[in-house]
Amino acid sequence: MAIWIPVSGNPERGPEMNSATVILWCIAGVLLFFSWRASTETLKRGLELAWKTTRANLLLIVLAFVIVGFVNVLSPQELVTAWIGPNSGWRGIATSEFLGMLLPGGPYVVFPIIDILNQAGAGLAAVITLITSWSTQSLLTVSFELPFMGWRFTAIRWGLGLVIPILVGTTALLIWG
Amino acid sequence: MKSFFKKYWVQLLLFVVILILAGLAYAQGGWSDVGGGFLSGVSILFRESLLLAAAFLTAGLLQALVKKEVITRWLGREAGIKGILLACLGGGLIPGGPYAYYPIAGALLSSGAGLGVLVAFVSAKNLWSVSRLPYEFAILGPTITVRRYLITFLIPPLLGMLVEWLFGSQLAAIQKGVQK
Repeated sequence: MAIWIPVSGNPERGPEMNSATVILWCIAGVLLFFSWRASTETLKRGLELAWKTTRANLLLIVLAFVIVGFVNVLSPQELVTAWIGPNSGWRGIATSEFLGMLLPGGPYVVFPIIDILNQAGAGLAAVITLITSWSTQSLLTVSFELPFMGWRFTAIRWGLGLVIPILVGTTALLIWG
Repeated sequence: MKSFFKKYWVQLLLFVVILILAGLAYAQGGWSDVGGGFLSGVSILFRESLLLAAAFLTAGLLQALVKKEVITRWLGREAGIKGILLACLGGGLIPGGPYAYYPIAGALLSSGAGLGVLVAFVSAKNLWSVSRLPYEFAILGPTITVRRYLITFLIPPLLGMLVEWLFGSQLAAIQKGVQK
């Protein structure tokens, strides 16, 4: 939604305060209150966890946003529309599933990249397929799954899971076009 | 050196992607496009910083409020459809990335949870995740987020039941494979 600004936009503007930001800060406020009510220990741990996650992922976030910036400048609208645009149908869904498996990293890296593809003309079905495929079929996650669950579990879960992004994408295509 | 690559390979991968994109930008419009791409990324990051701060704060506080031990204890006990539904709830609530929830799933596996319960747990973590919700909402916006959650809502319990029905008998072999 609000991430992509054309290069011609005014880059001098400060941090943006849109409705999503306001809603999230309200939720954060409520959670702050509940943590404080639970115990000072919980509040402290929550703030520490937030800070630790931010610090551990800061470099990743900067790298992800630099990618977003370059994609922005290269404006591959035609390419994105052709491959995963609103009229790409089946091929778009299949491409999105494949792309989704390869997307590396946590939500703060993957969502900005999916958002810029969305801004560059990807269809809704393709975007939902991308998110679903990254969530359930990510190859990076499989590398964590194998040692703890064994190859049999992974083969069953991941193998059956291959159908899910396609199913989800097709449903989105049928409902929202 | 080897451990450096192992530790930072995602960062390195993203860096390689940046180099490729920078090369493309150079081919398109020389150094001014390379600089433009970099500046555009940094300025978008700056503009979104308040939003990201709220997302990280929300995710951190959720992690502190939802206790992992409680969820694990809860899921070890139940089986059948009730177990699968509880597993979905637990998976949706449990915070942290794959390095956090797979050890828990592994512990549940060795403590005797059913295959359907385990698949429901992992799938709900992947599709219902409450701790990921702030990021998805913040970055992709309410429309996509709500539609994505709606459309994938039934998958974790259904997949759990399907797997239990088709492969439930494989549980012992899976347990043995991991113990080795």
